[in-house]
This record gives sequence, C-alpha cells and structure tokens, in this order.
Amino acid sequence: MKLKCSKKPAFPWFGMDIGGTLVKLVYFEPKDITAEEEQEEVENLKSIRRYLTSNTAYGKTGVRDVHLELRNLTICGRTGNLHFIRFPTAGMHRFIQMGRDKHFSSLHTTLCATGGGAYKFENDFRTMADLELLKLDELDCLIQGLLYIDSVGFNGHPECYYFENPSDTQNCIKRSCCLDNLFPMLLVNIGSGVSVLAVYSKDNYKRVTGTSLGGGTFLGLCCLLTGCETFEEALEMASKGDSTNVDKLVKDIYGGDYQRFGLQGSAVASSFGHMMSKEKRDSISKEDLARATLVTITNNIGSIARMCAVNEKIERVVFVGNFLRINTVSTKLLAYAMDFWSKGQLRALFLEHEGYFGAVGAFLELLKSSEDA
Amino acid sequence: MALSGGADRGSHSMDKSITLPPDEIFRNLENAKRFAIDIGGSLTKLAYYSTVQHKVAKVRSFDHKAKETDGDPLYEISVQEEITARLHFIKFENAYIETCLDFIKDHLVNTETKVIKATGGGAHKFKDLIEKKLKLKVDKEDEMTCLIKGCNFVLKNIPHEAFVYARHADSEFRFQNTHPDIFPYLLINIGSGVSIVKVESEDKFERIGGSSIGGGTFWGLGALLTKTKRFDELLQLASKGQHTNVDMLVKDIYGGAYGSLGLTGDLIASSFGKSATTDKEFSKEDMAKSLLHMISNDIGQLACLYAKLHNLTRVYFGGFFIRGHPVTMHTITYSINFFTKGEVQALFLRHEGYLGAIGAFLKGAEEDNPNQYSWGENYAGSSGLMSVSPELNPVQRARSGTFDMLEMDRLERQLVNLPLLQDPTSYIPDTVDLTEDALSRDYWLFCFEDALDGVVKRAVASQKDQPEAVERAEKFRQKYRHKLQTLRHQPFAYGSLTVRSLLDTREHCLNEFNFPDPYSKIKQKENDMALKYYLKVVKSVEELSWEQRQFTLVKGLLAGNVFDWGAKAVSDVLESDPDFGFEQAKQQLQGMKTFKLSHNNDKILNHKLFLTDK
Repeated sequence: MKLKCSKKPAFPWFGMDIGGTLVKLVYFEPKDITAEEEQEEVENLKSIRRYLTSNTAYGKTGVRDVHLELRNLTICGRTGNLHFIRFPTAGMHRFIQMGRDKHFSSLHTTLCATGGGAYKFENDFRTMADLELLKLDELDCLIQGLLYIDSVGFNGHPECYYFENPSDTQNCIKRSCCLDNLFPMLLVNIGSGVSVLAVYSKDNYKRVTGTSLGGGTFLGLCCLLTGCETFEEALEMASKGDSTNVDKLVKDIYGGDYQRFGLQGSAVASSFGHMMSKEKRDSISKEDLARATLVTITNNIGSIARMCAVNEKIERVVFVGNFLRINTVSTKLLAYAMDFWSKGQLRALFLEHEGYFGAVGAFLELLKSSEDA
Repeated sequence: MALSGGADRGSHSMDKSITLPPDEIFRNLENAKRFAIDIGGSLTKLAYYSTVQHKVAKVRSFDHKAKETDGDPLYEISVQEEITARLHFIKFENAYIETCLDFIKDHLVNTETKVIKATGGGAHKFKDLIEKKLKLKVDKEDEMTCLIKGCNFVLKNIPHEAFVYARHADSEFRFQNTHPDIFPYLLINIGSGVSIVKVESEDKFERIGGSSIGGGTFWGLGALLTKTKRFDELLQLASKGQHTNVDMLVKDIYGGAYGSLGLTGDLIASSFGKSATTDKEFSKEDMAKSLLHMISNDIGQLACLYAKLHNLTRVYFGGFFIRGHPVTMHTITYSINFFTKGEVQALFLRHEGYLGAIGAFLKGAEEDNPNQYSWGENYAGSSGLMSVSPELNPVQRARSGTFDMLEMDRLERQLVNLPLLQDPTSYIPDTVDLTEDALSRDYWLFCFEDALDGVVKRAVASQKDQPEAVERAEKFRQKYRHKLQTLRHQPFAYGSLTVRSLLDTREHCLNEFNFPDPYSKIKQKENDMALKYYLKVVKSVEELSWEQRQFTLVKGLLAGNVFDWGAKAVSDVLESDPDFGFEQAKQQLQGMKTFKLSHNNDKILNHKLFLTDK
C-alpha cells in the first residue's frame, strides 16, 4: 500500500487512538537522522524521542509493547521504527500535562487523534496544553491502519494468523496466513464495547451492529466479582479457573445431550446458571468466576459475529481489539465457535497488532494530510 | 379442610407447608382427568381437565300464536343442569409441590387417569415424588414441543393473548387481535437460557438458535453482585436503579453522541464499563439495572439477527425471565425496537407462564381433540396478568398466597369470524377501550359496582325456593367486587377491558355460584310485553318504503340493545306503567341515546350499515 506523501510533516510523528478504557499511541522513531538534522533538532523533540525509546514503561501504567515494534520501516521517504504504546484513558489528563510540560505545542506538528476521546478531550488539549487535535473517525482509521500493517508485514512475517484444529485442544496450532482476497470481510473490533463492520473494499464499509458486552464488561464484572484490578490479573485468574462450576451446562439440565436439537451435554445452557444456588456460590473460586466471565463474554461475541456473517453473507471474520491482547483463551474460543457453529464454513482470523490499528490509521492520516502548517 | 405438612417430611428440605382453601385453588378435582405438569426451575404448573356442573336457564316451550290477552307467560323457562368442560391450570412455587400433590390426591375421587404428562427441567427431579403421591405414571414430554403446542393454543383461542408493551403510553398494554393465521412466528423462550424457535405450522417448528445468557445469568450474576437471593427481589432492585452509574455510555467515550454513526450519547457502549476504572462502590440497584439492560439488550439483539435471517416479523417472548414484569418488558421492547430500527415489535403473551403446561396437557388430551373446539377464558376462576407481581397487587397476593390460576371453558360451539367481515384481524367489536380510556373506565367500573346490589337481589329473587341462595349470592358479590377492584388497579389483567368483558366477568361469576340467569324472570316479563306488540310492529315496518325500512330496522335494533342495558330503568318503567308501549319506549330511549350514547352508537351504526350493504 503506497502512501501519497505530498509533503513531509514535521516530527514528531504520532498517531493516537483514545478509547473508552485505553489510549493507544503509535510513534515513529526516525533512524536515518543525518548529523545536520540532529544539529537543528529542537531540544524538546530530542527529549521526547529519548524518553519514549529508552523506556518500556511510563509512569505506573504506561507500557510500550516492544514485541510489536516494526523495525526498519520506510515511510514517506524516512526509515525508522514504529513503536506501540498504551496507557489507560484514566491517565489522559496526566498525559496532556506532560505535553504541556514538554512544550509540545511549540513543535509544529499536527496531533492526529481518533476514538471517542479525540472529541471528549479536544477542549482539554486546547486549554491545558495549547494543542489542536486533528480528529479522525475511528472506523476509518481502523480499516486504513489494518490494511497498512497487513501490507508492510510484521518484520518479515505475516501479520495475520488463525488456528488450525480449533476444536481439538491438544492439536490446536496457531498458523500465520496472508490476507489476500481480503474483501469482503467482517471486522469485529472488541474494545470496551464491540463494533461489527462489513468491509467490502478499502473505502467501502458499513457498521453492521455492535454490542455493549465487550472488553469493558469482562474487566468490569471481573473486578466486581473477584476484586482484581487489572486486565492482566483478570486473565491470570481466568486461565486457572473452571467455568463449568459456575455455568449450568446442557447436561446439568437434561442429564446428557439434548438430542432433539443437537445440543451437546457440554454446551453451556445458562451462563452463571449455577449461581442461583447458595451452596454453589459458596463453593466456587475467584478463578472460576473470572473464567466464566471470560467465556460468557467471548461466546456471546462469537455468536453475534457468526449471525452477522451469515446475514451479510461473508465468510471471513477478523477479530481485533485489545480484549484479545495476551488472551489466548478468547482467541481460541472464538476460533472454535466460528468453526463449530458454522460447521466449518466460517473462519476466524486474528492480527498480531490487535488494538493498535486505529492509532496507526491516525498516524497515516498525518502523513497524508496536505496542510500548510 | 386445612392441610399442614412438615411433620413426617423431614427428607424434603424444600417442602413448605401451606393451607390450601378448598374450592379456591384446586377446583373441581372430583372428576379431574388428563393431568399434566410442567416443573421449571422454581415454578410448577399443574394442568387438568374436569367438568363443572352448573345450572343453565333454557327456554322450554314457545308458542307465539296464542294468548295476547292472557296473563300467562308466552314461554316457559326451565333450569337445567349442564356440564361444561373446563381446563384448569395452577401455578405455584416448587417449594409447595408436596403439599399440593397431597391435596390433589386427597380430593381426586372419580378418576380413571393412569398417567400424568410431565415436562420442564424439573420433571426429571420430581418424577419419583409425583408417582408416589398421585399414583400416576409420569410420562415425560419434550419441553420445546409442549411450549410450542401451548403457544399455538393460546394464540388461537384466547382473545387479546398477545400484547405490545409501551411503558410511557396512556395504555401500557396494547392487546393484539387474534389472527386467524398465526404462522410463521418466532418464539424466544427466556428461561435459564434462551431458546429461539421458529414455528412454521402446528406441527413444524425448529430451534434455530439460542443463547446461554438468559434468566439464569441474570439471577446468578445478580445474586453474586448484590447478594440478593430471590429473582423477584432482583427485579425490584433493578426497577429502582440507575444503570448510567455503572455502564460506560457513548457519551462517556465521546463526550457526546457518535454522530456519524447515529449513535446517541445515551447508548450503552460497554456494560459495566465503569466498574473497572472507578474505585467507588456501586449500589445494588444500579448493578441490578445494568445487568437487566445488559441481558435484555443482548437477547433482543440476537432475536433480531435471527428474525432478520429468517424474515420473520412476529416475535413473541416467553419464559420466566419476563413474568409480565414491566421493567423487563420495557427493556426488551426497547432493544427490539432499536435493533430493527422500529420494524419489528416485541410481543408478549398474557399466559406465557402456562405454555408448557398447556402443551403437555394437549399432548395427553389428543384423543379428546381439544383443537376442534373453541375455548374461552373463565374470568371468575382466572387470576389475571401480573397477579403475583408484588409491587402491583398486594391485595390479591395476600389473598391467594403464591398461587396463580387460569381456567378455560370449552364453548358449546366453535367460534368463527363473521364471514361478511372485510378484514377480521382489524375488526374490533367494542367501541370503547377501557384499558386506554381512563375516564370511561372509571365511569363503567362505578356503574357495575353500583349495580351490584341490584344484581345480587335479583339473583336471590330468581331462586326464591332455594335456601342457600342468599349465601351463594353473597359469595358472588364478594367475588365480583374483588374482580372489579383488581381491574381498577390493573385494567389489563384480562386483556382489553371493555364493557363486554365486564359483563362477561359478571356472568362467569354468577355461573360460578349457580345463578345462570338472575334476570330470567324479568326477561320473561319484558319479552312477554314486547312479544305482544311483535306482529303489529312487523306489519307497520312492512308498510314503509325500502329505505325507510332499513333505517327503522337498524334504529330498532339499536334501541333494543340499549333497552337491554338500561334494564333498571326499563324495569322501573314497566313497574310503574304496565301499558307502556313500544312506541313510547322508542321515543324515551331515543332521548337517552342522544344524550349519553350517541357518539358510540354512530360507530355501531356505521359498522352495521356496512354489513348490510354487502
């Protein structure tokens, strides 16, 4: 995917996606700075570069996903590394303050931002740090970002992967694949909430539907039920739990399969169905609860995604979003669900850069814009 | 006979004892047959068929040729015993199952029944208990089949069974007319889990999908989050909560609406989305509300996706999750409306709790061929919608404890639509809808209450020779007054409330206490008087021109109807002036008609004229 760069915007090059729970930041670190350029480089620009690239953690909650770094990327005539950074939206004001402290506004760069927060925090950026945001639509950015990353690849490897033998727990393997014949695809973005898009071409897409039972629900319910505080904690607990202690299965109601309707005994009949009984409530562990929450939310998303794929007559379903970050339980479950309920007709695909595509899309917009700054 | 259990039942930890008033809950057990039982997670529904013996006033001989001057009546009325087939359905909590089974066994006298049809998840668990107590063999039937059979039955036989719920409208419940062709439709049964069933014909249906996020999830998660154990309590909490404190809305992310996608700021972007990011504690009410929205929206969304795929526009919701609870119905209605952009309406059923029991019963009663008959709801013996909703009806709840009943009488003749009707589905015979029109409702409820004394007196007078008539008449008074009170608080309890249904209710109550026709003597007197003029009137009408004749006939018909309803006024007139003639009656009533009822009569006039034009 070639970018038409009418002019090179000034450094630093950022793309920002301010979501409901997380802020995703993409930063381009130029590696081809000539001595001349370095001489002219403004002090605060240098300090920003150094701060971002020499740390992998920022403050208490900021993280740089080093494993996702795209190295030696050439873009708009410059070569460098693309870094992927995230921090909670709750820390947004601190971030803006930092921008003020580092005199970001003196750098004649455009701050491209997408996501709801671009609208919500627009004023704060202006009043607190004298920064003007270029607001972009989140779905546009998502798609453009996704297509770009897929086209440049992941440091020589494919960006896209799927699971072979999703129903077989022993032999379920992750396999990479190329997203050729991309379109049409059903894109399911699982963030705090979920958006389901039908994408027909680079510029032709529609939002089919969405659901409010998303990553935010998983984390929120987990925190309430188990007292955990972070996504990582929640996933850690879930990996050790057994949801069948919490969920009521078909066999718990029918004593076996419900053959008439082709429902296996092991299928979940009612999520959290056992929790109506006090005895059961007292006997389960936090891990079980976390697992049940994860499974419930994931299966529901899978269900909705499948129905949409059938209604829209699309066979390729791509799942993205930070809900899937370090979350193999969910990715495998989604792969299984798509495969099982569609009897092999639908395939679930995943992308390594999960929740960053919006930010990448915003970043790309910076390079495309032909403003006279 | 009061029952108390407990002493010898140490083994059953769930058993609760209760005093069952005879003749009030399990009625007509002596001749009961064809038992069926539907045992759910927490509620049991028992069904049986029985016969009721009651009096009917019939005209014996009628000879209109004779005796214009004689004082003797023109025809005789005799009171006969008639047997009506009646279906009984009773709903109660599982905790009372043992006591109820004992009661039934004790009162079952003349039965040859050997089998009881059972369905529901609990049928498995209680099989042994039922077989032991009732000495009947338990024959299990598939739950889904029973549900669909039951659904088809109520949709075809009970008028105003289905309704649309609109929380902020003048009339919350908008009842639907019975459609002659009910297929195809989608039934979403929300029990512990959700089953989505496409019904194409009486015998053809398929479970096309489902969800594990249902009533069990609401109950389970609700219990974990709020420490509330009872389902109804959870719903109560939910009705008082503010979900916006717990959920992440679009405006929390965008600072407003997501305009380009048409997502308003108030939409829920992420359920429980605020729980992760704030440290504060949430109230039970808020969490319960969030949970309710989360589950209702999810079910609604899935329902819409299936409806769209199968091109279905009739979507009915049933299952214990709903229970006629207003908040739940509202959230589901909203969800369906949202996801179909207003194209599909969520429909609910008045008797959704009974569908399984009705279906199981029908499976057992196949040889009686119940579908070839028409069945009517017996208002006297039926509890009505939402009678167990605690916040709405403390009166009724206290009275019947936790029991809810439905009774259906088999009608003598099958009901069919008038063949001349242009569009049967849109025809509404009642000109005033008292469920909607609060002013008229107050007026008519008052009228019937006011007239009650008179009716009671007439009832007693019509059976002067029977000693217990006074006692029975008093019971009738209590019963009917209670029904009127119920209707005052819940006009929608039995579907659309109309003057006709108030009259029917009164008739059912009278029949209940063996007063088949308290007005029989009066009617006889009035008819006598009227019949004396019959030939004269016919002759005078024949002398009119064709057009004049049509109008006169219609006016006469209307006057006759009004005549009937103004029974008190008429009987007063007759008593004071025995030579009261038809002409005078017509004039007097025309005056009355114009004053009070002309607006209604115009409508009746139009309907009937329309019919005769055909």
